[in-house]
Amino acid sequence: MAWLFAGLKLRLVAGNLRGGGLTRIAGFVVTVLAALVVGGGGLAVLSLLRLAPADVAAGAGVLVFTLVAVVWVVGPLMAFGVDDTLDPSRLALFPLTARQMAVGMFAASATGPWPFATLLLLTGAVIGVARGPGGVLIGVVAAVLQFALCVVASRAVTTALSRLLRTRRGRDLLAVGVLLLILAPQIPNLLLQRGAGDAPREMLARLAGTLRWTPPGMAAHAMADGGLVAFAELAVVALVVVVLGAVWIATLRRVMVTADASTQVGSVRRSRFDALLPGGVIGAVAAKELKYLRREPRGRLGWMTAVAVPVITMFSLANSGAPLPGLLAALIPAGAAALMIGLQGANAFGLDGRALWMNAVVHASERDLRTDLAGRHLAVSVAAAPLLLIISVAGALAGGDASSAVPALLGSAGLLGTALGVSAVISVVLPYTFPERINSFTSAAPGQGGVALAGAVAALLATSVLAVPVTLPAFLGATWVTLLAVPYGLLVAAGGRRLAAMIGYPRLPELMAAVSRPT
Amino acid sequence: MTDMGDGAARPEAVRTYGLVKRFGAQMAVAGVDLAVPKGSFAGLVGPNGAGKTTTLSMITGLLRPDAGVATVGGVDVWRDPVKVKSRVGVLPEGLRLFERLSGRELLIYNGRLRGLPRDEVARRAEELLTVMDLAGSADKLVVDYSTGMRKKIGLAAALLHNPEVLFLDEPFEGVDPVSANTLIEVLRRYTASGSTVVFSSHVMELVDRLCDWVSVMSGGHIVAQGPTPQVRGGLTLNEAFLRLVGAREDTGGEGLSWLGSSPV
Repeated sequence: MAWLFAGLKLRLVAGNLRGGGLTRIAGFVVTVLAALVVGGGGLAVLSLLRLAPADVAAGAGVLVFTLVAVVWVVGPLMAFGVDDTLDPSRLALFPLTARQMAVGMFAASATGPWPFATLLLLTGAVIGVARGPGGVLIGVVAAVLQFALCVVASRAVTTALSRLLRTRRGRDLLAVGVLLLILAPQIPNLLLQRGAGDAPREMLARLAGTLRWTPPGMAAHAMADGGLVAFAELAVVALVVVVLGAVWIATLRRVMVTADASTQVGSVRRSRFDALLPGGVIGAVAAKELKYLRREPRGRLGWMTAVAVPVITMFSLANSGAPLPGLLAALIPAGAAALMIGLQGANAFGLDGRALWMNAVVHASERDLRTDLAGRHLAVSVAAAPLLLIISVAGALAGGDASSAVPALLGSAGLLGTALGVSAVISVVLPYTFPERINSFTSAAPGQGGVALAGAVAALLATSVLAVPVTLPAFLGATWVTLLAVPYGLLVAAGGRRLAAMIGYPRLPELMAAVSRPT
Repeated sequence: MTDMGDGAARPEAVRTYGLVKRFGAQMAVAGVDLAVPKGSFAGLVGPNGAGKTTTLSMITGLLRPDAGVATVGGVDVWRDPVKVKSRVGVLPEGLRLFERLSGRELLIYNGRLRGLPRDEVARRAEELLTVMDLAGSADKLVVDYSTGMRKKIGLAAALLHNPEVLFLDEPFEGVDPVSANTLIEVLRRYTASGSTVVFSSHVMELVDRLCDWVSVMSGGHIVAQGPTPQVRGGLTLNEAFLRLVGAREDTGGEGLSWLGSSPV
């Protein structure tokens, strides 16, 4: 069963590539390269820990193991569709016991570039962290257990959520849950900052002292310890894996027979706000986008991230010991929010998905597509403006200089425009399909994870470069430059729309195909 | 191809010349010359995989043809999309709609996207919702609609700008008899005024009953088209169709001996 599923996964990967164009193959290559860099880099860096003192190596091991486990659990939920694993609900009709399916799904999850990268990284840990021949032996067991832990925990969480996500309310709950998951990795960060005065080594020791009691921490500690304690710790980790596995099997069993979607249907209120928007196509698109912003959980997730990131940034800045000058204290969080909001648009047509034909049968010129994009930008701006205002004011107050709220707002608005302009172009160059439901484990359709990743990276890089004329002087203290930020942002946004329409209009049929792939 | 139409008498609403589409090695549409006279209620029939959906997608500007020309009202769809797109209404295959809008919002979005004035859109939307028997569900999200409701709201959206030609891909698939009846009523009224409907289907009885013009597709070609009685040629449309697409006369006998209950 295990081989069958692993083979199925490989065949799915191959099948996705075979039918695909150049971008999809490029996307896959990007994914494989990224996995190799992470895995190979991890292997190299962790191996080098062998040269470090034993306690430092142990501490680093604990930290890395915890981080890897967190990434495994959180990654598939929100990241760039790095995992094309099978959806259990698709296998529900086959005469498989939940146990067979669990074994198969485990095998499928353990197949692919990212699991391979994890194994490389863990190999590095065995080389670098384990001491002595006995340590290496225990280390290998610990690494295998850690790997199993990662896979099982990741599957258990996604499967449990997949059931929750069948209902609309569940999807809304997840949006909040994911916010917590986004915040969770920041905890060590905040802890580190709390002790910013200490020497790094003590800091590491303190952090590792806490994290070593988590299951991945125990695995790492066992690896470093190599003694009797190690056996006890490995036993605990193994127990956790077994328990998580049991929970997972139980959830799987239930998921396979639970009905889809609740039939409880509510009505929506008719919007009075629409009347305030401009008429014509711009207003129509903006009104629709604003409704989607409220009603579409997949889109809402991005916005919640956009709120969470600046809040964390602000908190980090306030705790960092060395307070920043007032402008930066306000500009950094507001700019982060603007960036997060603007870059969400990097797959603007993704949320329309299979419904995009409705726009495509109307758009008959480049200008129509440009207007469509302008409507989307208008909607984003309307929603973002109050958010940026609040964050700018809060950041300025936290930084102790209320007057810096104005340049922070201007600067972040300019950054938003820049990001929107870039995103418009990326949307037509690297479009991909969002899964219909977020219960599948990726943010892109099978085979498009790499495209999504490439799009996100390209959007971030291009925005960073294009934003330099505004951000750099501001960071160097030339506050007045933020006066130019808004016109600059508007210019980039308009240019982006023009370029996007030029590229996108002739490709409209291909664009539609790319965002409406089966998921 | 057997063109047995009095098509020359009436001007053509839709005409394609050698339309071709390949998907990789597979030839989905291999040179289709579709002709539909103005004002007809035309059926495009064919077995699964005959190329009906691909053909309709290429005529409506949703899929780029590899070769050939598609015209609506004499205007090239891919050369002059501005003229064509405002004159056609489309209900594509599947139920691909903006799921997170209510039925009413979907109609209003559609109308405004097409540049109709606000008040006019609101008026037409209300009327369509009433005629389609959707008034009670107008404020529910499309994601919660049943198949029949989705087809009806899709048709309403396609009709909103009063197109000259309406393309419907499998409009009756998965629709209950009550909703189907509503759809048929509306479409009959629409064609009676001189507008054209082209719809694809593989339910022969329905096409036989509704259509005055039939085009039969098989293996990416048009194998027959013309007024329904002529294509039927004295048989039922189903018999004529099976003969045209070359279905095997006898499928019993060889193979499948294990199928069905038999003494073990």
